[in-house]
Amino acid sequence: MKLSAPATATLSAEVSRLHWTAAIVLGATLPHWPTLPTWVPVLLAVAIAWRLVVATRAWPMPIRTLRLLLALVAFGVVLVTYRTINGVEAGSALLVVMMALKFLESRGYRDQLVLIMISYFLLFATLLTARGPLTAAYLLFLIWVTTIGLLQLSRRGPLLGLRPTAELAGRVLLQSLPLMVALFVLFPRLPGPLWAVPGTSTSATSGLGDTVNPGDITSLALSDEIAFRAQFLSRPPPARDRYWRGPTMTNFDGRTWSMSGERRGERVAASTEYLGAPTEYRVMLETSGRNWAFALDMPKPPEQRGLRMGSDYQLRTFPGTPRGTQLDYRVVSYTSYRALEPLSPAEQRLFTRLPPESSPRTRELVRGWLTDDPTPEQLIERGMDWLRSQPFFYTLSPPALGEQPVDEFLFDTREGFCEHYASAFTVMMRAAGLPARIVTGYQGGELNGVGGYFIIRQSDAHAWTEVWLADKGWVRVDPVSAVAPYRVALGSWRGALEGERVPGTVLGRIEWVRRALFVWDAAATYWNEWVIGYGPELQRALLDLIGFDGLPRAERWSKLLLLCVGATLAGSLLVTLQLAWRRRRRTAIDEAAREFATFAKRLARIDVAPRAAAEGPVAYATRAQARVPRAATEIRAIVAAYLRARYERDADSAALAELRARVASFRPARA
Amino acid sequence: MPLAAARRLEGWAASWARRRQGADPHAVVLKRSRVYILPTRFGVVFAAMMFAMLLGSLNYGASLGFMLTFLLAGLALVLMHHCHGNLLGAEIKLIGAHPVFAGQRAEFRIAVRNDTAAPRYEIELSHDRHSAGPVDVAPGAEVSLRIAVPTERRGWVALERFAVVTRHPGGLFRAWTWVHMNARCLVYPQPARPGRPLPESAGLGLGGRPDRGDSDFAGLRAAAPGDPPQRIAWKAFARNDTLLLKQFAGGDREPCELDWDALPELAAEARLAQLTRWCLDAAAEARSFALKIPGAVLPLGAGPQHLAACLEALALCETGER
Repeated sequence: MKLSAPATATLSAEVSRLHWTAAIVLGATLPHWPTLPTWVPVLLAVAIAWRLVVATRAWPMPIRTLRLLLALVAFGVVLVTYRTINGVEAGSALLVVMMALKFLESRGYRDQLVLIMISYFLLFATLLTARGPLTAAYLLFLIWVTTIGLLQLSRRGPLLGLRPTAELAGRVLLQSLPLMVALFVLFPRLPGPLWAVPGTSTSATSGLGDTVNPGDITSLALSDEIAFRAQFLSRPPPARDRYWRGPTMTNFDGRTWSMSGERRGERVAASTEYLGAPTEYRVMLETSGRNWAFALDMPKPPEQRGLRMGSDYQLRTFPGTPRGTQLDYRVVSYTSYRALEPLSPAEQRLFTRLPPESSPRTRELVRGWLTDDPTPEQLIERGMDWLRSQPFFYTLSPPALGEQPVDEFLFDTREGFCEHYASAFTVMMRAAGLPARIVTGYQGGELNGVGGYFIIRQSDAHAWTEVWLADKGWVRVDPVSAVAPYRVALGSWRGALEGERVPGTVLGRIEWVRRALFVWDAAATYWNEWVIGYGPELQRALLDLIGFDGLPRAERWSKLLLLCVGATLAGSLLVTLQLAWRRRRRTAIDEAAREFATFAKRLARIDVAPRAAAEGPVAYATRAQARVPRAATEIRAIVAAYLRARYERDADSAALAELRARVASFRPARA
Repeated sequence: MPLAAARRLEGWAASWARRRQGADPHAVVLKRSRVYILPTRFGVVFAAMMFAMLLGSLNYGASLGFMLTFLLAGLALVLMHHCHGNLLGAEIKLIGAHPVFAGQRAEFRIAVRNDTAAPRYEIELSHDRHSAGPVDVAPGAEVSLRIAVPTERRGWVALERFAVVTRHPGGLFRAWTWVHMNARCLVYPQPARPGRPLPESAGLGLGGRPDRGDSDFAGLRAAAPGDPPQRIAWKAFARNDTLLLKQFAGGDREPCELDWDALPELAAEARLAQLTRWCLDAAAEARSFALKIPGAVLPLGAGPQHLAACLEALALCETGER
């Protein structure tokens, strides 16, 4: 008869399992907290607290009807909040709610393993949209934590300590890394999605806007976020030529510039004369949520799939391309060109249109320049001269403008940044009867000497004017170069503004910090290129290197799958060998026994009868000493070392080493 | 899969393993060729989850999603090898089983020994849907476990087969091996209800001696069913949870003869039951006794060894076993 174990022991075992489960569940949901509606984490926390109180205070479990009701209400609210259960965000919210309810009713081993599995799946949901190397490292940490939980909670016996479990989890994860890499490279990638992916609500995407409204670009200009990176395959052009062309603003309502409708695509490019040496480069675009792509003025129509030349020479991705993904493309541009686009009279009217009431003082000013019937070139020159001659200031924090923003800027405040100047200059040109428009984009960029590419940040956003001349086509005029020539020549805000707030942090101006940031950015770029960007194209390129080129698709795939199987087998072999190696090493205790066996074998050779089953080493040694008196001292020493190495608590390796040495030199002679 | 079908499948697999492995000695080191492994139900669900992850990654073209999917696939593979390796090289030794009375559970003691440098975790022994453990076995350590087998009749009860099982680490896989050691446990007859007094020793012709009662305490022995409750050592039970019977020196008491032929009114098994009861009573009273049953005559004796010999004779009486 045996009493059952004390009730408190099982209770505390249950509580410690629940603590572990709670830790894993909280860890796995952590990355989702910012995107979840507040009530979801609250529900989770309440469920955890409730269950723990049930366990520690021996309260009754919540009844089934209550749990069911709770589940229905929670699912209902998720459904109402997201209007769907498809998609990453709604799905994640649903999973977290499920976790909370599962935790509330969890009773042991099986329920806890289910929770671990949902934890892995939640981490996976984060990874569907995550990109950065830091996020990946953070998630790898959480995967490690979840794996510790898996190893702990899959135990049926009492839980182990944190340390051995954490070590084991780390070891098994490290052992699975080679297979992960092999499968990552080799598993066949599909070019398109399997089913329609509902768009994620990427709120507040920064970047250039659809409109230009002098005053709202201030916030953008101060953002240090990266817009894209560009790597030149030929000699990079100087900063003053690095105008990265973006959307063009044609329509003006007196206050706001906006884009015209889709006008012409690639046909306009046919009329362009490309002069001088081509500049070839690669652009790695960050996620923007728009289908705009950027290229140096003036790009040739791109040959890359999925990219086209849209209105006003702006590169765009095809509508089908999923937004919110990074884009990597190659383009050829010519920094000297003649964009000889013929404009119809209707188009000329479009590009000279000004709202009748707007900017009376500017019109007055321009009217004065027209008296001697100047050529268009002279008019542009007069405009620039006028800007140079007046006390204009380049600033990132201009004063607010009123009813007639252009007039107020040109004659009263005279403080502004690129959009103010581009807007005012375009209005002046239109007032003079010249077709003109605003081009927005980026100017300059910063060289990352480590990675060998340029980083173009949101703070490099710029706007300039294009004027159409009958014989020269569209000519770029940057009024900012008249006011703040440094801005254009350096290709950066930095240095252009004396003593003013410069984009970027104070840290960003310390030289070694800047260098470290460059190294980090280069690493992030490689990460983006080789890990995040590893898709069907890169896989194809890589496999072509190892002799896959020219194979039909079915054969490529079957070969790839075969390689995956091979990698799995190789991984298996590797793990087996590692495990066998770990298991092979005997403990010191057994080594001592083996040494002693060798010693006994040598004695047996000189007719010392083998040790009987019931004979201890000391009794055996006494018998051996009597039989071989000449070796008595040595036998005594060996037995003493053996007893120390094998039976002493905390036996050190010295005892074993001594035993080994003594046995090795033990050569007893027959008495 | 219905439970009955699963059991039948397992029985079939086990008998196949018996044919290919042969009988085992009382100590075996588990070799690669006999450690089997299959995913658990949790492992199958885990695989389904990985497949869902793979589909999701393909759909979203998410590189990091692929990474986690393949990391978990690698993890499952690694855990499979760890699970297999957790049994590999372990030594399973039969320690033995103490005799029990029919109706009690025979407890086979089996030791798991780990002679490698790495610890072994969560090793279970499983027999007929019952399992013992799990236990962790440190490097160089040996842990013993008990498999309980219900008994119904006297004679030998055999533990024909048991499984050594582990699900460590992760519970995704179940690695096991079947062990067929010739393990058996002696089952004494179930003693009859107490009440019938010990027979007089007339036939032995020994002179009577004054009865000094139960006064001379001689020691403790393990209690058996039917022992008089007033002689249970309750204080000792409070100390160590084992029922012990107080024994008293009784060499001075009348010896008795326990004879098969003295109980003609009882059927054969009932006679054995009554004789068993008498053996226990006599031993409890510390009287020496002789036993005479078909096929065995045990001369007058006393003490635990004599009792064990008598009970064994009773257990194996006319069973054709030894």
